[in-house]
Amino acid sequence: MDYFSGLLTGFSLALTPYNLLFGFVGALLGTAVGVLPGLGPAATISLLLPLSYALGNPITSIIMLAGIYYGAMYGGSTTSILLNIPGEAASVVTCIDGYQMAKKGRAGAALGMAAIGSFIAGTIGVIGLTFVAPPLSAFALKFGPPEYFSLTILGLMLATYLSGKSILKGMIMAVFGLLLATVGMDPVTGNTRYTFGFLILEDGFDFLTLGMGLFGIGEIFLTLEGKVKAQLVTTKITNLWPTLKDWTLSKGSVIRGSGVGFFVGLLPGGGAVIASLLAYAVEKRLSKEPQKFGQGALEGVAAPESANNAAASASFIPMLTLGIPGNPAIAMIFAALLIQGVTPGPLLLKEHPNLFWGVIASMYLGNALLLVLNLPLVGLWVQMLKVPYSILAPVIVLICSIGVYSMKNDVSDVMMMVIFGVVGYFFRKLQFELGPLLLAFVLGRILERSLRQALLISRGDVSIFITRSISAAFLAVVALMILASIVMILYKKMKAKPSS
Amino acid sequence: MNLWERWTAAFLIFLGVAAAALAYRMGFGDLHHPGPGFFPFWLSIILAFLSFIYFFANRRTTASGKPLWGKGDWGRPGLAAAVMFGYTLLMGELGFFSSSFLLFLFWLILIEREKWKTIGLVSLLGTLCFYLVFSFFLKVPLPRGILF
Repeated sequence: MDYFSGLLTGFSLALTPYNLLFGFVGALLGTAVGVLPGLGPAATISLLLPLSYALGNPITSIIMLAGIYYGAMYGGSTTSILLNIPGEAASVVTCIDGYQMAKKGRAGAALGMAAIGSFIAGTIGVIGLTFVAPPLSAFALKFGPPEYFSLTILGLMLATYLSGKSILKGMIMAVFGLLLATVGMDPVTGNTRYTFGFLILEDGFDFLTLGMGLFGIGEIFLTLEGKVKAQLVTTKITNLWPTLKDWTLSKGSVIRGSGVGFFVGLLPGGGAVIASLLAYAVEKRLSKEPQKFGQGALEGVAAPESANNAAASASFIPMLTLGIPGNPAIAMIFAALLIQGVTPGPLLLKEHPNLFWGVIASMYLGNALLLVLNLPLVGLWVQMLKVPYSILAPVIVLICSIGVYSMKNDVSDVMMMVIFGVVGYFFRKLQFELGPLLLAFVLGRILERSLRQALLISRGDVSIFITRSISAAFLAVVALMILASIVMILYKKMKAKPSS
Repeated sequence: MNLWERWTAAFLIFLGVAAAALAYRMGFGDLHHPGPGFFPFWLSIILAFLSFIYFFANRRTTASGKPLWGKGDWGRPGLAAAVMFGYTLLMGELGFFSSSFLLFLFWLILIEREKWKTIGLVSLLGTLCFYLVFSFFLKVPLPRGILF
């Protein structure tokens, strides 16, 4: 199937009233939940994931989930601009100038530019996805178990490397996540592992239970510490559509932000977060009036918002083509597809072309839907932000509990979710990043299967991972990253010594 | 590195060693035919090794470590965890409706210290809304108990 006929098929699927409706519902719900402070895209998707299970059809499910993801990404910017609390990590920089603009009575312009910038960048990202994904998929068809093993290690390493301050803590989290994935039945021999006689552990930990616990419940515990005091901008929000002057000022920022976002988003790790920070830094450096940044510069909203949406689109590429989810939110979508019986990866385009192109087409539509949805509904989002957290928190707990309970109709899963919530809270307090843990958990079974298959093929010869060129290249990058981080640590220590 | 981090590192080392011992007993196999314990064994060893580095690499910075919680910071999260654990224990016994009503009630009394009017109204309406949406309209088979 070439690009044109693929896209045509995709649009014919995405435009069916049923899929269009669920794409719309996904974008609406994603924005509604994403607007709430403290709930980022990963938490939003985990909260709404059970809804997609009910749909049964994988194409409709992923269309809805992609809508939720985009919606959650956009919802985060509304919180940043109006409340000065980042709705998600990728919107941290939007707070800087967005909130200043809102305080000066320009909340409408900031929200409008965030929406339009997100739409343009998201569309650029999807165009990139349309053309990059098929050749990458074709290349990945050459991969056997050794290549998959090395690629998964590389993906995890990149996620660890880019997602936090401490690579050591990130690696500990990744290995812990891999270990959690081994609980339950061994996929090859059928023996049980680490179940300690508990029947509930025989199927292993459920992805949703882990995700909701770590990101949903854990987030509530953190928010309850209540260190951040929110101040909602109460001025009337008008003039959402940017003026000609606004547009002239920000069009370069939107384009540059889209470019930065797309390329950074391709990397597993904190794609959207790093993209938005980098785009902001680039804009400030290129600006003729850098002193305006931090005081309410429109470019300071346009660039990071464009970057994080382009990165959101680009992050689908490694998942759809290589089967490597780059961030926790994409890992949720990845797991949802696995549950629906679809394995994302190089064979996806070959085995499920309708799903592949349907998703891409739905992303074009999802971007447009968000623009149509968000500008008129800004008033509604502002009202949602007024709901006190004292009421929201038990509501979130109930939604999480129902979602987890409804999977197996087992109360023990709800208990497990709360335990993971406590674990997630402690890890976050100790500055451990949870992203690598979740990614590793999702990739754990794939990693183990490819390792065991590779060893079987090579009759126990581990050199298979370095004698095959693609696998060796992936492992060389991993080795370079480890080396670079060791050098960095030693350099920092040497630099700190004279001053101490 | 503060005391909490040191304890976490120690716990992770213990976890790694214990998990490795258990994995070895599961059946290690050999390189040609790895057994069920092969992969978890190596993961556990790596976890213990990384945690060991984490423990020792930061051992000199004990004095500068900031406390994990400020005064009273842990109070509300601790109460929330207790209320949630209570909720999960009661859900199977009392059913969804009654246990969710109690969750709202205790949450708003103990954690948020809301006014009685708000507590009563939110607990009742909140539970009723959830019950109607999920059990009545979406037909989610929620646990039944003393009331519904």
